[in-house]
Amino acid sequence: MTGSVGQALLRKEDYRFLTGQGRYLDDLAVAGALHAHFVRSPHAHARIRAIDVAAASGVPGVVRVVTGRELAEWTTALRMAPPIEGLHPVEMTTLPIDKVRFIGDPVVCIVARDRYLAEDAAELVAIEYEPLAPVTSMDGALAPGAALVDETLPSNLISHQTFTAGDPKRRFGEASIMVEAEFHQHRQTHAPIETRGCCVVWDEGRQHLTMHVGNQVPHPYRTQLARRLRLSESQVTVISPDIGGGFGQKIALYREELTCAALARVLRRPVRWREDRTENLLAACHAREDSARTRAAVDKDGRILALELQITEDFGGYCFYPANYVARVVALILTGPYRIADYSYDIKVVLTNKCGYGPMRAPMAMVSWIIEGTIEAIARKLRLDPIEVRRVNMLHASDLPYRMPTGETLEDITPRETFETALARFNIADFRARQQADRRRGIYRGVGICCVVESTTYGSAFYKAAGIPGSGHEAGWVKIEPSGAVNASVGLMASGQGYETTFAQVVADALGVAPQNVRLNIGNTDTAPYGMGSRGARGGTVGGSVLTLAARALREKVLAIAATLLGLNSSGELRLNLGRVERHLGGVWTETPLSLTDIAQVAYLDPLRLPAGMEPGLEAHKAYDPPPMTYSNATHVCEAVVDICTGAIHLQRYLVVEDCGTVFNPAIVTGQQHGAIAMGLSGALLEEVVYDADGQNRSGSFADYMLATAVEIPPIEVISQHTPNRKTPTGSKGMSEGGVMGAIGAVMSAVNDALAPFGVVADRQPLAPDYIRTLVRGKMPTP
Amino acid sequence: MSELAQPLSLNVNGEAHHVLVEPRKLLCDVLREDCSLTGTHVGCEHGVCGACTVLLDGRPVRSCLIYAVQAQGVAITTIEGVAQQGTLSLLQQCLHEMHGLQCGFCTAGIVLTMQAWLDEHPNPSEAEIRGALSGNLCRCTGYHNIVRAVAAAARQRGKEAAE
Repeated sequence: MTGSVGQALLRKEDYRFLTGQGRYLDDLAVAGALHAHFVRSPHAHARIRAIDVAAASGVPGVVRVVTGRELAEWTTALRMAPPIEGLHPVEMTTLPIDKVRFIGDPVVCIVARDRYLAEDAAELVAIEYEPLAPVTSMDGALAPGAALVDETLPSNLISHQTFTAGDPKRRFGEASIMVEAEFHQHRQTHAPIETRGCCVVWDEGRQHLTMHVGNQVPHPYRTQLARRLRLSESQVTVISPDIGGGFGQKIALYREELTCAALARVLRRPVRWREDRTENLLAACHAREDSARTRAAVDKDGRILALELQITEDFGGYCFYPANYVARVVALILTGPYRIADYSYDIKVVLTNKCGYGPMRAPMAMVSWIIEGTIEAIARKLRLDPIEVRRVNMLHASDLPYRMPTGETLEDITPRETFETALARFNIADFRARQQADRRRGIYRGVGICCVVESTTYGSAFYKAAGIPGSGHEAGWVKIEPSGAVNASVGLMASGQGYETTFAQVVADALGVAPQNVRLNIGNTDTAPYGMGSRGARGGTVGGSVLTLAARALREKVLAIAATLLGLNSSGELRLNLGRVERHLGGVWTETPLSLTDIAQVAYLDPLRLPAGMEPGLEAHKAYDPPPMTYSNATHVCEAVVDICTGAIHLQRYLVVEDCGTVFNPAIVTGQQHGAIAMGLSGALLEEVVYDADGQNRSGSFADYMLATAVEIPPIEVISQHTPNRKTPTGSKGMSEGGVMGAIGAVMSAVNDALAPFGVVADRQPLAPDYIRTLVRGKMPTP
Repeated sequence: MSELAQPLSLNVNGEAHHVLVEPRKLLCDVLREDCSLTGTHVGCEHGVCGACTVLLDGRPVRSCLIYAVQAQGVAITTIEGVAQQGTLSLLQQCLHEMHGLQCGFCTAGIVLTMQAWLDEHPNPSEAEIRGALSGNLCRCTGYHNIVRAVAAAARQRGKEAAE
């Protein structure tokens, strides 16, 4: 049988993208659409005393100017109150009414004939503010007497959870060696090259709203949009065009989008909005600002007897997500590939006068850096080789399935296998020789290793157990049309992952047709089934699984029809191969006169020939809820040279050995690895959202917020060592975030290895030249 | 239409476009809104990301940094003018074969920038390709496959030239 899964088929999406015929949000032509522009707060924290929009309203071409007060009449506030112990409920109006909470907070919306005019009119809006003391750091947020970012809360500590497994206190009491380490991660932002935007059309005659918006999760988005507009879900259609990068930024219903929707309805005219880059950097959403400390009790071989984690996260000024959830995942999976039974964590999440948090590709990315950095701290203290300390603690295949101290179960992972392959392929012995020789010449070279266990596909059981509201299921359908053409759909929405290609391969193989005959229809809530959308690393596993199940169900129906048409009692010896029905005769697959088209014609147009009692038509609709969690694993190795005089870091080599289960399209999976690793490296080395002590954001352009270019990112060697997951229908595990996790940890580890002769340890990011210089200034290397 | 709008003639991909626009309107916006050529994407509006790159008389220019009125009298090439009769250019084909694009938003700027660069640098090293590409930001691919595609296009061009 000719299969396409596992082949690097070229992408179906490429032609339109390469020729300028992709259709992204701002490419949609909508006649008569008005353009929205937002006047944003210049203050980090201030009361809104008065807003005068009279002058702006009078500008020719301006149609309407609105504030939070009017929007509150047309829309419902967002209440974030999941029943999670230690998490305070909060509420957010569509636009702020009484006070602003960060620089860039949208305060007034101007709708005009074109975007240029709307921006002109913005200069005429007069807002009187009373500045308040800004809260600009986690320490500041928790300081006694700190100003309250949200005045409905008792303090800025919006979420606090603790947990203990085993008896870490006792282990610490017994152990003679204690190792502590710190990890400070800086604020970053997603920076998709396409900024946010929307185009909303209200149909007054049908009382129906169509929201065009590049969004990763169209159905959950529709649910929230309908609720907040006080419409039924049958009155709202969400259509996602091509998305120019998401990375987690295009999940939430943003206040600007809700404002445009409300205005389209009130004005009975289409309203569109596209933010500029400065707005995207200042006011879309931010991520990753965390401080963590670990304390490990160890024996003389470096074996971890107990581990404690304290983590504090800066969630910014508003909660578009439950504030506990990201830091919680870090704490849940911290122990990764290591055997640790006695464990405790303490997670604090604080509000500050900064842009609100949004999950960024691998929200939990810091976890691998924390555990690997802890291992390296142990090795430093005991003067052991960190490779040996990993070996001492790492799970063996015979330990699986392994119940982590938090109750999560690891199975079907291969951490030792990828680790040993990575060491061999990198050739550590050769590296150590080069490193020694270079040190004598004043060249400081380091190798960094990071072992990653990536939580990929979250099932409903995980959410339930973790106390996080939500479902992990996905839905899909496959239809064979009367001509034999195949259409398929799933609730996921792509933002560059190549679903149209990959899922065509999956459906084609499960059905028995050629992938070019399968078209994937996604991103329209009227035609796609209600699914949870694209987030995390779930797409491949949930999408591939549900489409496999639907296609298999449909194949059974096709073959049952074929058996009847061929006069056979059962379909047991029939198969569909590239759209032809074949029969197993005398040990050989032999063609029959039937094609899929013949069967489809009967199913739709001549149903009296179908097996007795069978429904006409060829459609299958399935839902699939994955196991509580699937895990992928990988080992990353990074080689870097640190220029001691300038503090510059040059990445020389990067390799990763990965096990992410069954791979549908290896070219696409490798591309996802490249992209994730690049995002991790870019974040660790260059990117930083900088707020000064007044809460002013000093990173509002791409000249200040630096993304890595082709010069900084080294070639990346990806070595596949996949083993299937035995619980998912396709053997897939999921991937695409682990690269970020591994890159952050590997580059930190490489730099610390390079700096070892100076007796210093980098424990914060970004690894900017001035930081490196601060560490080594005045230090002499020991040979 | 604003009273400040002025008639303007632009030569885009060999076709004349007569539009009525304000002098302050950026070339990228006129191409997208008035010429209906939406393949030119706007990523940052301050000349850093390179997504909006078009060619003026064969040379790459960021269309978010110039006004449309400045582009009169020159030949403008946008991504819509690169493939001929639906056939991808060599660089477009190499990007397709090497998986050198994911979300596709930055792709037009990369195709135009690197195609023009290859005209002047027929035999580039990998480091030179990376340097030339460094004015175009891509958030999806990590650049590696784009670099491979540009190198493959250069090799193929060299082969064709030798034949």
